[in-house]
Amino acid sequence: MEESTIEKISQIVGPEYVSTREDVLLSYSASASTGYDSVKPSAVVRPGSTEEVSEILKIANDVNLKVTPRCGGSSLQGEVIPVEGALVIELMRLDSFELHEDLRSATVGAGVTFGKLDKLLKVCGLWLPVYPESSLVATVAGNVAVNGAGPGSTAYGCIAEMVLGLEVVLPDGRIIQTGSEANPNAPGPFLRYAFGPDLTGLFIGSLGSLGIITKVSVKLFKRMEEFHYETYGFQESEQAQKFLIELKENNVNAVFASIYEGRILGFFMDMLGEEYHIPEHDWPPFTVSITLGRLREDQLQSDIKRAAEICGGLEGEVIGISELPRGEWDDRMRTFARSSYAHGWHWRILYHHQTPSNWHKSIEAIWDVMDEYALLGHTAGFATGHSSYNFYPHLYYFPEDKEEERRVREAHVDLSKRLFKTGAVPFKLAPYWVNGVDEMKEYMNVLKGIKDVLDPNGIMHPGVMGGL
Amino acid sequence: MTTMESGMEQLMEELHQCRRCGICRNAVYDARGFDGICPVYENSTGFETSFMRGKIIVALALLNGELEKTARNSESLFDCTLCGNCTQICPAEFEPAHTLELVRGLLAEVPNQVREEIAHKILSNNNPYEEDNSRKRKWISELGFDIPTNGEILYFVGCTAGMRIPEVAKNTAKILKAADLPFAVLQEEPCCGSVLLRTGKPEAAAETAERVSNAIKESGAKKIVVSCAGCLKTLKEDFPNKFDIELPEVLHILELADNLLQEGRLKPKALPGKNTVTYHDPCHMGRELSIYESPRRVIQAIPNVNLVEMETNRDTAMCCGAGGGLRSYNSELAKNIASKRVQDAIDTGANILATACPFCEHNLQSGAKIVGRNMPIKDVVSLLAECVE
Ligand SMILES: Cc1cc2nc3c(=O)[nH]c(=O)nc-3n(C[C@H](O)[C@H](O)[C@H](O)COP(=O)(O)OP(=O)(O)OC[C@H]3O[C@@H](n4cnc5c(N)ncnc54)[C@H](O)[C@@H]3O)c2cc1C
Ligand code: SF4
Ligand code: SF4
Repeated sequence: MEESTIEKISQIVGPEYVSTREDVLLSYSASASTGYDSVKPSAVVRPGSTEEVSEILKIANDVNLKVTPRCGGSSLQGEVIPVEGALVIELMRLDSFELHEDLRSATVGAGVTFGKLDKLLKVCGLWLPVYPESSLVATVAGNVAVNGAGPGSTAYGCIAEMVLGLEVVLPDGRIIQTGSEANPNAPGPFLRYAFGPDLTGLFIGSLGSLGIITKVSVKLFKRMEEFHYETYGFQESEQAQKFLIELKENNVNAVFASIYEGRILGFFMDMLGEEYHIPEHDWPPFTVSITLGRLREDQLQSDIKRAAEICGGLEGEVIGISELPRGEWDDRMRTFARSSYAHGWHWRILYHHQTPSNWHKSIEAIWDVMDEYALLGHTAGFATGHSSYNFYPHLYYFPEDKEEERRVREAHVDLSKRLFKTGAVPFKLAPYWVNGVDEMKEYMNVLKGIKDVLDPNGIMHPGVMGGL
Repeated sequence: MTTMESGMEQLMEELHQCRRCGICRNAVYDARGFDGICPVYENSTGFETSFMRGKIIVALALLNGELEKTARNSESLFDCTLCGNCTQICPAEFEPAHTLELVRGLLAEVPNQVREEIAHKILSNNNPYEEDNSRKRKWISELGFDIPTNGEILYFVGCTAGMRIPEVAKNTAKILKAADLPFAVLQEEPCCGSVLLRTGKPEAAAETAERVSNAIKESGAKKIVVSCAGCLKTLKEDFPNKFDIELPEVLHILELADNLLQEGRLKPKALPGKNTVTYHDPCHMGRELSIYESPRRVIQAIPNVNLVEMETNRDTAMCCGAGGGLRSYNSELAKNIASKRVQDAIDTGANILATACPFCEHNLQSGAKIVGRNMPIKDVVSLLAECVE
């Protein structure tokens, strides 16, 4: 990058917040995506306000400098790895928080993590009920940019369902606001679907390729305090699947629900069984682990009863071991990190959504690929909203074994193709989908058209979304 | 394979345990008491190299040759207090702060004037303050009673209490005297080597450990009492684990005082005035050795004292900023970190900030100056000594 560009940027943010040091660049060349190659940017900047972000993007446009937005840097599929020589714009200093209690909403800066937000909201008895299992490091803005989900999503849907509006700096430096706050006279965020087509949605899951999200307005809910943790056993996958569907149909409020089959459960127990004090048990072929949550005790009791009836009607059994769901829920901000990091493996992940009725199809594809490529791995997942089940299989390798890592990469692309055939859909639009699945070509062309309009010089994070 | 090579292999394996999740930056985890993790991140410009994830990436690159071993490239590895808060929250199966300490030891070629100077001073004077080491007993002359150099209970004073904050040494002696426990102080007490270990001079530390071990043997000690968290961790843990040196039982004066109070051998009088004390857990004593309750019990045993907790306390306590050699490498950063901790104490409404380590006390004093508020910083040892004289 030109010295003069660095100079201009440092005039905007102050010289201490721009760095071109070799060691700093190296630390921004990677993210939590261990299975992806690192790429060094040419500079990193840590702006302190939306206006500074805007000024930086104007300069980047003038000199045709590629930029990569970055928040927590916790994403797992290489999304935040810059293209060679790019400018990384790291937004963790944007840590504003504005509560709109009457509107049951809040507006948070791009640097606010879920953990931080949760603490701020807890004192008012509120919550944002979707917790990615990286909540201690992932920001709300980063999660919106990747279309995330997490514990809580079983009842409330993915993070997108929580968004009321966004403040976005477009690639040319223009600052726009979406949702009801686009009216400066509005009392705050109260409606997303205002002003015609859903511009908010355009940026959700855009991986930073269409603009930089500087603020997110989200819905808030009264914090639940009544929970019940239960495990239910079934002999056939179809029964377990039907159980999830019938719970929804009967409005039984599962805030977090996962199906485990034997092999996955064995893996999970091996990783976290002791830590969560889960007793030894002869588990059925399919175990459904559920946290039921309600605002009121009477509602909860009704749900517990109804869930048991539905389970019985499907020839299942109420197992009565609560430690598994309790551990998942109570430690929801960290369970996944803990379970995935308990051994020395590195891994690649393959996010997709499946329908609960097709749960077994994902499982079959995942085990087939792991067996064929002789890989170690497992899959985690949970129900997410109306009729969807979020899967994130892990393909493991030892960090020093290059040959194993190569197999993991191949298996990854192969698995995405097979999953697509089962009817699964991507949500974090990672390269293995775009490169592996031909049926997505036309869709990607439309996205490309939108990108060209918003970012004619192609400066915004050109490496993601199939290199739009 | 040489030990050096196998040490390196093991270290690389540990560094690969880091899966770069980034939780070690500034996690807020209300349910577990964390409100921020890395004091260096919080008090610097906050680039990735300031907290553990970035430091590990840099360490790997320096060790595998991807990054040239220059002072500048390795600076971030020394900008760390080794407070271990990142270890406390890290979901992976390794101890990042200990690993970083090992990395410092293996980066011997990296030029680093500060650590060379400290090592030189310690090896040639037996203390890091470049003073005549016999002055480490000077405070005894102000006590009004004499202390022998041999005995069954040995008070290992430490360089900072001995030469910089003699109040702590005098008050420790007063407590032992009040409990009627005869004790000794070495004639020429060598430095425990804590600073050498933390800054990455393990060979020099081995040399001082040998000196300390010989001196203690000669003193006839059967029990060692210390008043410094750094000495405690070094003598109690590092001597046996790193140098295979087994010393007699080592304990902090507050652990001993806690026992003496419970046995009724110390009967504190009320502290004058209204006292609300908040206690800062020294990293070496708290997170490293899990000594959380005895200092608190000692505080609560003093009549007229009310103990209040800072938001982060015990195993999630934020650091005072002095550890890991940071006070020498980057004293401005160390003092800024201290000022944050003093602010935490002010936020509790306490009128005394107490701790149990002379390093913490010294640095927190600097922090209080930055904050510009009158917040007396005291060692719990001094609080207790005031009431048992
Ligand atoms: C242990 C672990 C557990 C995880 N569990 C979950 C989980 O349960 N659910 C889940 O959804 N994900 C999970 N993830 C993945 C990851 O944490 C999330 O996707 C997270 O939301 C990313 O947020 P971030 O702030 O770290 O973003 P980053 O990693 O910094 O960025 C992610 C992407 O968004 C873009 N971006 C970042 N900030 C902005 C912005 N302000 N404006 C525009 N674009 C931006 C980046 O360019 C990049 O493409 C997990 C990760 C780890 C390491
Ligand atoms: S040191 Fe631990 S907490 Fe920090 S990034 Fe590495 S694995 Fe995560
Ligand atoms: S040991 Fe403390 S100062 Fe060092 S990286 Fe970890 S949290 Fe930061």
